[in-house]
Amino acid sequence: MDIGSGPRRIAAALAAAWMSLAWSAPALADPPRLELPANLSAVIDFRIVLTDGERSFTDGGFGKSRFGGGGEDFDVHAVPAAAQLVWHGPIAWNVAGSVAVAYQDEQDQPVDLIQAFATWRPVPRGATRFSVRAGLFWPEISLEHHGPAWQVSDMITPSAINSWIGEEVKVVGIEGTASRELAGGRLSATIGLFGFNDTSGTLLAFRGWALHDQQSGAFSRTTLPPLGPDMAGAQPQWTTPTLEADHRIGYYGRLEYQMVAPVTLSAFYYDNRGDPMAFTDDLQWGWRTRFLNLGARLDLGRHTRLLAQAMTGTTLMGQDPGDPDIWVDTRFRSAYLRLTHEIGPVALSGRLDLFETRQRGEYVYPEDGETGWSLTGAADWHLTDQAQLILEWLHIESDRLARLRVGVPPRQDQNVVQASMRLTL
Amino acid sequence: MRALVPALLALLFAAAPAAAGDLVVQVRAANGAPVPNAVVTLYPGGRPSPLGPAGSYQIAQRDLQFSPFVLVVPVGADVSFPNFDDVRHHVYSFSPVRRFELRLYAREQARNVRFDRPGIVPLGCNIHDNMIAFINVVDTAFASRTDGAGQARFTAIPGSQVLVRVWHPYLRAPANQLELRVAVPDHGVVSQAVPVNLRPPPRPGSAY
Repeated sequence: MDIGSGPRRIAAALAAAWMSLAWSAPALADPPRLELPANLSAVIDFRIVLTDGERSFTDGGFGKSRFGGGGEDFDVHAVPAAAQLVWHGPIAWNVAGSVAVAYQDEQDQPVDLIQAFATWRPVPRGATRFSVRAGLFWPEISLEHHGPAWQVSDMITPSAINSWIGEEVKVVGIEGTASRELAGGRLSATIGLFGFNDTSGTLLAFRGWALHDQQSGAFSRTTLPPLGPDMAGAQPQWTTPTLEADHRIGYYGRLEYQMVAPVTLSAFYYDNRGDPMAFTDDLQWGWRTRFLNLGARLDLGRHTRLLAQAMTGTTLMGQDPGDPDIWVDTRFRSAYLRLTHEIGPVALSGRLDLFETRQRGEYVYPEDGETGWSLTGAADWHLTDQAQLILEWLHIESDRLARLRVGVPPRQDQNVVQASMRLTL
Repeated sequence: MRALVPALLALLFAAAPAAAGDLVVQVRAANGAPVPNAVVTLYPGGRPSPLGPAGSYQIAQRDLQFSPFVLVVPVGADVSFPNFDDVRHHVYSFSPVRRFELRLYAREQARNVRFDRPGIVPLGCNIHDNMIAFINVVDTAFASRTDGAGQARFTAIPGSQVLVRVWHPYLRAPANQLELRVAVPDHGVVSQAVPVNLRPPPRPGSAY
């Protein structure tokens, strides 16, 4: 469907999408309630998407969003429902379990395992409380995701940083946390050991940053954009995010301080200790990925909060024996600032993302580096305690010379307008 | 008959307390808002008043909250912890006053804990981090929790000099407690305002 371009057309399209979904929303006076058995919950997401701009990375392009347009004009996508089914409940008195399975249409395994872990929390015997978590899970980095279904709160699309966490920083591991009150606040320290996260960094190196809400499944592959001529034989056009290639154990550490004042600060350091020379039969590599993430949350009253994260890191892959040069040496950094304000049942959010990758490797050249920024605005309307209507506008601008490889100008901008009806049962 | 009147009068005066006034303690925050759930204890003449027989008390678990948030009990009291929720709760305290752990299945009704020493017992649920409550075990008969208007009322207080302690879980003071001395008249009511500074309550931690 061709709607045409220009701000007025965008506004008209936005209003049409909003109205059509609001019209189809159930009568609000007496909302029907669906009850699932105890400890089971489900999130179902129906979506209408309007997008312009270049072809998406999910479709073999360089686009930074999950959806791609046909150039200048807006394209409409009716996205089939995505769904998550979560079991979250007690296994024993001090042990809780959580298993999440997702249906995501665009993944190569449409139904896939998202998380599966158990948490042991003994009853505190003093002021320090301990817990241990083991299984397949995302380490606690994102300030935007919550709950066993790992949903983005108040918006559809997470920041560039947390989009990448959702894709490539999920581990099979064990972590221990100790927390105690300190000077009226609460200090928490976590140490984690993990495997099955050796390809972490592949997407940042070959594709760069992206903004989207797809979560990597444990058995799924993710498509890569067109690779440069010197990498084509060494790396297939896809990556497997949950994979052990080198049999080395990685680690991470996290510190969080929740102050008396409504401020929470956190620092997270990750090193997968990957072996850049290790690879599997289908050419999935051991990437040496290290990064530091800093986070801050500031509650400005009961209805307003400010979230910020900043990340900097490096990833290395491939090396000829006896040659000090690394094939791929990517530096990445990104930061965002997000403000959310609640007015009655509606939460309004705005976010600014900045992102950059730089290439210093032997076979992935500076032309594959990028700079970019993005602005996101969202309105999340809680229709009932089970139904939400979220309207979001995402604008991304980025500059990357490698786009010339497929005949696309290096500078690209894109608008993605989404209306989502989200049911949480 | 003439002798009877003075005798009756003497009996009447003997039956009435020799000197016993009433006290209303009004607890307010710095912004003037009344502070409920503060525990006010009185020590007439600086000493605890003898406790009566301990009754039975309750902290319920309902809608994933403890109710009440603050409970005042005399030393020796039994407190029951009925669970009215459809999920189980794991109630605990690591307070040196009384350390215990109760594993309560859904809709479980009868479990008691006895509190034999005075002091503060913070309660938590190991499954639900944002469930918080406090039991204040007191050693004096004059003890009360402030109501929604921030008031605690006491009647028939013996003695004229009374030590008043005001405790609240989030009070900014050593041991979350303030002390003051109040002169209570032999008869009538005296009102005592107690301004307090409260910390914001802690936000629940993430429950992974």
